[in-house]
Amino acid sequence: MELALKDIRRHLGKFFATIVGVAMLLAIVLVMNGIYQGNIEDGVWLIDNTATDLWVVEHGRGGPFNEASRIPLDSHKSIAATPGVARASPLALYTAQREINGRDQQFTVIGYDIFGGESGTGGPGRIVQGRTITAPHFEMVADRKLGLQLGDRVPLGTDHYNVVGITSGAVDSGGNPLVYLALADAQKVQFEQDPRAISAAAAANLQRLDKAGYSAEQATRLLPLLSGGNNTINAVLVTLAPGANGAAVAAHISDWLYFNVYTTTEERNLMLEGKLSKMAAVLGLFRTLLILVSIVIIALIVYVLTIEKIRSIATLKLIGAPNGLIVRLIMTQSMILTLASFALAYALRDLIAPGFPRTLAFVAPQTAVTFAVMLVGGVLASLMAVWHALRTPAQLALGS
Amino acid sequence: MRCARRRSWPWAASVAVVDIHNVSQTFGHGEMAVQALKATSLAVEAGELVALLGPSGSGKSTLLLAISLIQPPTTGRIVIDGHTLFDDGPTGVDVRAFRRSKIGFIFQQHNLIPFLTALENVALMLQINGVSRRDSTRRANDLLGILEIGHRAHSLPAQLSGGEQQRVAIGRALANEPVLILADEPTAALDTQRGTKVMAMLRQIARERRSAVIAVTHDHRMIEGFDTVYHLEDGRLAQVDHHENVDAAALA
Repeated sequence: MELALKDIRRHLGKFFATIVGVAMLLAIVLVMNGIYQGNIEDGVWLIDNTATDLWVVEHGRGGPFNEASRIPLDSHKSIAATPGVARASPLALYTAQREINGRDQQFTVIGYDIFGGESGTGGPGRIVQGRTITAPHFEMVADRKLGLQLGDRVPLGTDHYNVVGITSGAVDSGGNPLVYLALADAQKVQFEQDPRAISAAAAANLQRLDKAGYSAEQATRLLPLLSGGNNTINAVLVTLAPGANGAAVAAHISDWLYFNVYTTTEERNLMLEGKLSKMAAVLGLFRTLLILVSIVIIALIVYVLTIEKIRSIATLKLIGAPNGLIVRLIMTQSMILTLASFALAYALRDLIAPGFPRTLAFVAPQTAVTFAVMLVGGVLASLMAVWHALRTPAQLALGS
Repeated sequence: MRCARRRSWPWAASVAVVDIHNVSQTFGHGEMAVQALKATSLAVEAGELVALLGPSGSGKSTLLLAISLIQPPTTGRIVIDGHTLFDDGPTGVDVRAFRRSKIGFIFQQHNLIPFLTALENVALMLQINGVSRRDSTRRANDLLGILEIGHRAHSLPAQLSGGEQQRVAIGRALANEPVLILADEPTAALDTQRGTKVMAMLRQIARERRSAVIAVTHDHRMIEGFDTVYHLEDGRLAQVDHHENVDAAALA
């Protein structure tokens, strides 16, 4: 006879309400698992999709994803001349926030050499509609999260860009959709200034030159040299020549050209140990707290249910029921609470996932670990109630 | 009123089912010590119904708890159905297993498990003794039929009257065919008619199944249903020959 089920039958409302409450908390934990894994997949996908052998960034920097990296535009030519390098493609990468489709949207712009390699090294992946960029200017490929359609014209700076391709799931590690532009266009969008800001900067520079003793004619000639220009990029993507030794090429670029060089594996590790590790820590903390809260709720409910039937437990002891029967009664209720809550949380997770604004990636091992933690937690949650039940004297049944 | 002594009844075997010898129960230590039972001896034969009378705090419930080893005595010897359960200390017998197989309990407040039906309450007693689900259900049904409550087998205790609950409690106490039934105020919560009926059932079953019954009671209406009446006062046990000799003071 399963006493636990018989008792639940009597407390069905309380039991169901607890299951729903705990399931909501667990659903958040499961969604957080998905956010974490989704960020990893997005971040790593961007690195993998770039399909390069080496990443060359500013010396002493961990860029271009974890830290800002600025290197001269023409440095890709010196890198291309390094022995063992088949191709060196410049890459610009930055976050922008502009009005698109009538609302402010944040996105990451990737400017790449559209003529480097077969379809441009660093170019878009996951294209679901249209094509990649083929014209040197005014074409863009955007992720569908921006809400754009093929053929839309998007104003960025002083120019309009034709949407020629739509991607799905092309986002950065923060979940921002990617916008691909030709390198020159990306730089223009990045560095283009408002005419009034340009005039103000020019006036300030002329004033400085005047104070330094330059004549007006000399100052006018020197002015373009002082103005900021779009002559920097964020990284150079290196494709090795067949048979080239990656480590030797990286050492050569690092020693002679004074850049930091990372293999794709190292770039992935930088991503995982840098930006993603902090996020993992934050999400981990929240997940731990939520699981603890869930276990505490289960513990309290199981304890309350046990206290409510403590006289029945004393009666069971008095008529000679073995302790195993009493322990099973409490443990079974705890396990049913845990399992039913997890099952409902799992269903809620699947209900939430399609409309969630960020990429959610669910992996079975992670779900299994969460399940195992909850299972152990459920057992621990019942220990207090079991301890109380086993300490209850049989004579309590007689009112003494 | 005379001191407790063994006596034989025509229906009883000569061997006592319950043999309690010099049982004492002391609570606390030193100056704070309270002696609840003082060298109490008692023998009950198969089929015999024994009533324990006495004022509150005289040690009646303490004696029941001591006999069933729920609260073992301080000293003395307790033998039930030939098994020495206590002899100035534990004897190594698994007392809880012994209770579930040899002793039946009936309480004043019935103490039915509230989330089990009448049938399940009785069947539980059999199942914890290792009887299969099917057999326990069949036997529990039979018992409830004998107790004339078969029609309420699937009702929860809260849906039963006091008398019906007490009959279910008797069913549970009898389910494991115990050699000893311990009852604490078995009829106190019932009206005279129901109390008399319950008492008659208990008497009939004790005779038929040859179970010894020891009951604590204040219910003078039921005294005549018992074979032997004992009086406890200040932890000392004395026997009253017959229910007719029980004076009002003993029932106070």
